[in-house]
Amino acid sequence: MTRVAPLAAAVVAVLAGATPALASPRTCDPAAEQLAVTVTPDPVARAAPRMGDRLVFHSMVANHRTVAAPGVVVWLTLLRLDAGHEQAMDLEDWSADKALSLDQLPSATVARRKWTLRLISPGTYRVLVSAATRDAPVPAIAASEVFTVASKSVVESARVLPVALGIPLVLGGLMALRLGTGHRTGADDG
Amino acid sequence: MNPALAIARREGGELLASPRGLAWLLAAACVLSGFALLLVGSTELGLLDNAQVVYDMASLAIALGALVCAVMGVDAVAGERERGALLPLLATAAPRRAILLGKLGGQALAWAAMVALAVPYLWAVGSTGQNLGAAVLGLVLFGTPVALAAGALAMALGARLRSARAALLVSLITLLLLASPVLLGPSLRQSALGLGFDAANPFSGAVNALDAMVIDGQGLATQGWHLALVLAWLAVAYVTALRSLWPWAGEEIVA
Repeated sequence: MTRVAPLAAAVVAVLAGATPALASPRTCDPAAEQLAVTVTPDPVARAAPRMGDRLVFHSMVANHRTVAAPGVVVWLTLLRLDAGHEQAMDLEDWSADKALSLDQLPSATVARRKWTLRLISPGTYRVLVSAATRDAPVPAIAASEVFTVASKSVVESARVLPVALGIPLVLGGLMALRLGTGHRTGADDG
Repeated sequence: MNPALAIARREGGELLASPRGLAWLLAAACVLSGFALLLVGSTELGLLDNAQVVYDMASLAIALGALVCAVMGVDAVAGERERGALLPLLATAAPRRAILLGKLGGQALAWAAMVALAVPYLWAVGSTGQNLGAAVLGLVLFGTPVALAAGALAMALGARLRSARAALLVSLITLLLLASPVLLGPSLRQSALGLGFDAANPFSGAVNALDAMVIDGQGLATQGWHLALVLAWLAVAYVTALRSLWPWAGEEIVA
């Protein structure tokens, strides 16, 4: 009976042209949850990062409640923002730091965490750090400034070709030279 | 001169200083070159693929090094027995332990040459500089016990089996089995059997450590289990080879 009443109210609201209360999304209100998250880039971070660089972000999760926050989970999200390529990136290859879990975060304390990202693809990105507790339904989220990762050539033929062609040539030449010397002197090469 | 050092110099010198001995190094260089040249034509590589390429190149170097050491190991005992050179060596005053260490020293020299050969290739394909240092460190730390264990086990096989050909075949087939993690995709290694095989296989230990260090960017400190695994295999292989060369086994070896 207790479930029917809100459902009936929602149906009535839909018929009346209003947004049903049951469908309204829960909004993120860090103040209400009293768990505050901040994320800042490392001060020594490169201004114009390129593929292969590492970017470090520092996050702080502060518990402003009067009681400890139980079962805190803090996690990293990397969003790609390029037009047509918007997506949440799979962190598997970007970072070994994916999440932090705490049994509890005492009242008026701060949990700090360093997140290291290895930049493996070019593009425009934003880092989000979210914090949720066992008893709070909506996580608190902080977002970094947008940053752009410049591309970098992955395999440089100017490096590969001299090595890939040069080493066998040098070894082959050395072998031929020594074989030739051995034949002329009649020495046994063993 | 210490007998072990003298034997190591002789074993290594045969492979590194003689013109014909250099042929194996040339063949290994051709394998690494072929792999590197395959990459030049690809324009679809991402940075992650670059780390994968560095990992593949380091794994390939370990496989080649283990192959060289296994062949050297068979030749060091079974080959020398068939050439009639083992009996005079065992008849010397040199302790069996020194003989074994000398033979392993020769294999270590060949492995060192393999690492020296692989480093410029790693540099060439790792053009982003991404975890290149980790790849070289992993190659040395994890590849050395794997290559020497392959060599020591091949020596034990060479001593136990009466035929160099049989010992070589068994060694190569065993090596192929151990190197299967390189041939099999990760999905096939996720079954219970695959996971168990991975947990006990020294080659898996080495390539999984390289994977973690080069691709996932994890530190060496997290690879203690893998390092313990490859070192344990080296210890087992050394003891097995030593027992095969022990004095009471001498008559059997040269018979």
